[in-house]
Amino acid sequence: MKISYGLGFVFLMFFSSANAISQEQGHLNVTTVVQMEEVTIGDNGERQTRLVAADTIVPGDVVIYTTTVENISDEAAGNVVVTSPVPEHLSYVAGSAFGPGMVIEFSVDGGANYAPAAELTVEDDGQPRAATAKDYTHVRFVMQADLVAGAQGMTRFHAQLN
Amino acid sequence: MLRCVAGMIRARLALIQVTILAAGFGLAVPCWSAGTPAATVIDNVAQVNFEIAGTPITQNSNVSSITVQERIDVVVVLQSPQVLVAASDTDRALLLTVTNTGNGTETFQLTINSVLGGDDFDPLPSATPIYFDTDASGDFSVGDVAYAVGVNDPVLAADASVDILLLNDIPAAVVNGEIGFSQLIADSLTGTGAPGDVFVGQGDGGTDAVLGTTGGSGNDTGEYLVGDVQMNILKSVTVLNQFGGTEPIPGATLTYTVTVEVTNAGTATASVFNDVIPTDTTYAPGSISLNAGALTDAIDADVGELDTVGAPTVVVRLGDLTQADGIQTVVFQVTID
Repeated sequence: MKISYGLGFVFLMFFSSANAISQEQGHLNVTTVVQMEEVTIGDNGERQTRLVAADTIVPGDVVIYTTTVENISDEAAGNVVVTSPVPEHLSYVAGSAFGPGMVIEFSVDGGANYAPAAELTVEDDGQPRAATAKDYTHVRFVMQADLVAGAQGMTRFHAQLN
Repeated sequence: MLRCVAGMIRARLALIQVTILAAGFGLAVPCWSAGTPAATVIDNVAQVNFEIAGTPITQNSNVSSITVQERIDVVVVLQSPQVLVAASDTDRALLLTVTNTGNGTETFQLTINSVLGGDDFDPLPSATPIYFDTDASGDFSVGDVAYAVGVNDPVLAADASVDILLLNDIPAAVVNGEIGFSQLIADSLTGTGAPGDVFVGQGDGGTDAVLGTTGGSGNDTGEYLVGDVQMNILKSVTVLNQFGGTEPIPGATLTYTVTVEVTNAGTATASVFNDVIPTDTTYAPGSISLNAGALTDAIDADVGELDTVGAPTVVVRLGDLTQADGIQTVVFQVTID
């Protein structure tokens, strides 16, 4: 009994400290999950979708990145900005970004500059053209209000595997 | 890639060249991209910037990770135009391309099927009916390697393709105008089935293999057309010299008469009669006729002319000829220089 208690305690210590380094640092808990939509047809013929782990992704499939930000400190966090790269091999799905209470902007230059979708341009053979969703390298969600102690924010976007 | 090939048969006799254009058809070959390779790991980390009591802080999320699974897809595309054959022909080849349009390396098993509906006869697969077009000649030749199921099944990397020849014999009891189909089927050795079916752990790098839209099986069908059109072409010449004699001396007029006739059940499509004016002679202006109807020398609305681009050539477009059209007679004259 004693031995078993001791091991459990050590494990708990290790787990929570690893967690703290990568995500908490005492203020916010930041978690990203990547999922895919699973469509099922119910007994009544109704189409139902739910999010499941992105385990069987093949080219052409769409994945959904969701980042949640929880303020675990006892002070309000101001000017909260969540930035996510559109990973290599994936293309941002136009119109898919979603963040309640946030202004959504995009980058086409690896995260150096951000602007609303309509204002972005890229160069093709030296000629500027309006950027399309495939050009986006990063998505940025700018929270409009402070994230008060204990509050949680959520961002989400879809990307298609090339 | 767009490959457009028109079949062509030529029949030559002495100075006469009759060119028969068989129906050819273009092949629009779509382009595929296999996509991100199987077993690719895609990591992503979100970053959050914020301020606590005016102090800027940056924090990263955990790493979210996906591993790209293998999608199995294969497409077979016919490259040959319709192959013109005659009864009892042997080892007549159809060329097809098998392309791995999935994102991993796959082995494919090949099968021939020459018993298909919708045609007039069943071609007879040769004793060894499937060959690799090893020498890339596009036809069956000495350097091509025979395919044997389970022995040298093609192993194709993502996006890679291989050219395959199907060999069939043509039955004796076929008649002109009949069509016979032959099909190449390429099946993934991992498995075939409905799109979305999963073969756990059987993809590249231990990933799952997922069947794509092709269900892991591709096929395409080529066709043989029995079309050995037989033509009888005869050319004769008469001489009349300026003295009323028949000696071919300078200044004498040579009258050439050429008859063209289809002698079996085929159709010679868009037949064109070409005859180059012999050296040391000069074409006699206004002398071309077809079936006793005069044709002008100019390139205009009528079916004949003297083509002077290059060596002067008498050209008469005979159109689609069948046995029912009977003998077509072209006459023209030259003078000896």
